[in-house]
Amino acid sequence: MPGWDWNAFGRYLISGYLLEGAWTTIWLSVVVMVLGLLLGLVAAIMNMSKSPVLQGIAKFYLWIMRGTPLLVQLIIIYTGLPQIGIRLNVVQSALLGLSLNEGAYLSEIIRAGILSVPKGQFDAARALGMDSSTLMRVIVLPQAARVMIPPLGNNFNGLLKTTSITSVISMEELLRRGQMLIQVEFRVLEIFVVAALYYLVMITLWGMVQRRLEAHYGRSVAPATTTERRSTVAPDSGNGEGAATAVERREMEHDLR
Amino acid sequence: MREPVKQTPGTDPTQPVVEAEDVHKYFGSLHVLRGVGMEVQRGEVIVLIGPSGSGKSTLLRCLNHLEKLDRGRILVNGHPMGYREVNGRRVELREREVAKQRRDVGMVFQQFNLFPHLTALENITAGPIHVLQRKKEEAEAQARQLLEMVGLPFKAHAYPAQLSGGQQQRIAIARALAMNPTLMLFDEPTSALDPEMITEVLDVMLKLSDQGMTMIVVTHEMGFAKAAADRIIFMDEGRLVEEAPATQFFANPRHERTRQFLSKILH
Repeated sequence: MPGWDWNAFGRYLISGYLLEGAWTTIWLSVVVMVLGLLLGLVAAIMNMSKSPVLQGIAKFYLWIMRGTPLLVQLIIIYTGLPQIGIRLNVVQSALLGLSLNEGAYLSEIIRAGILSVPKGQFDAARALGMDSSTLMRVIVLPQAARVMIPPLGNNFNGLLKTTSITSVISMEELLRRGQMLIQVEFRVLEIFVVAALYYLVMITLWGMVQRRLEAHYGRSVAPATTTERRSTVAPDSGNGEGAATAVERREMEHDLR
Repeated sequence: MREPVKQTPGTDPTQPVVEAEDVHKYFGSLHVLRGVGMEVQRGEVIVLIGPSGSGKSTLLRCLNHLEKLDRGRILVNGHPMGYREVNGRRVELREREVAKQRRDVGMVFQQFNLFPHLTALENITAGPIHVLQRKKEEAEAQARQLLEMVGLPFKAHAYPAQLSGGQQQRIAIARALAMNPTLMLFDEPTSALDPEMITEVLDVMLKLSDQGMTMIVVTHEMGFAKAAADRIIFMDEGRLVEEAPATQFFANPRHERTRQFLSKILH
């Protein structure tokens, strides 16, 4: 086998076959993020509820999802469940496994976000006659968003790459497509370098989107001055610091996953 | 025991706005309210004073059910606040029903608690739009009148972080008034303000009392108490120790505890 082949590399770089794989990676990540956010919001609210039953369910869910490797979860769902009569196809298994897993991690970010909103905000909203869902939607979540967006964006960054794990259940995302192409073309280095470049492009584009989102959600609290982002945390949020550390801890967990 | 009268608030001027009977509240083993009873008539301004930890703020928070009662009952406009009575037993109302009851009671906090992600105008319209389901234009028209009333017509689009403490508190008063409450609760509204900003807030409150608003005010501003209070209530260790019309209260305090407290805050 000769060395590096620029021609082959160029061919793979514009290969529709690999591009399709990259597209699968993108839509899979987006759908999983949306489902994960919904799951995470429900789990976070259950986790903070006064009912021990709801709290128990939420804690059990987090314990299972964060206590076992995603790889094991995916294999159980795709390969194990048919044994007891639950048959999910590849796409369904990938969506279910990733969303359940992601939801558990996102719920902790959402919880930290909600906890970062000062208690006085809840009092003021309740005193106006808001019920819990209005209070969450109009007052709490928009404020929590400012704290949540950086770690959520970080999570989505991780998710774009984590989807490659679904290649083991033959989900034809970018990595799997690369592996399949290698079986025909035998050019391991060129193909994997192209796949890596695709991931880099996706991550870079997402980074730009994330910066815009952060600017958007930081906007209303930041006065027209150009103060540091850190200092724009609401002046009365005594627990802003605690939330930040919770979020940082969370980010570390994600990296170790 | 009186039966709660079923009626819309405001129709009967003789119906007391607040009736509290034997209200008890514990925080863990701490007995914060020890049998408080009070009655507030429509249009009355009550100033509640007392040393810190005497239960003033807790009483205020019980009046709109931000705190649950451990015993006793509170009627607002004739309706038990936060509870209904089933065969003589108290059952806490569902959250949604409590929320509905709170519309009638405005509250102003020591720390303002404006919503930092909303402009002054949006702070004021949040309640009417999201709770009363008013149309946006309608709510904004009312909000502009309220901004005028609190003397901040040009701050509609400012965010709380861009306003001084006194301005924030005046917006907070406007926000509470936007719900057209029958009762306004003020929890040390000027305690977090720099001295030069206290007057602008008190002026708005005086204006409000002149308009006939029913108000319960926890404050140490004795100037305001003398100018606006119909009655002053002195609270200590979870009990109402003494209550009297303002002039009488300062000239002739009956209880030793009251005299001690007054000597500390009047120089």
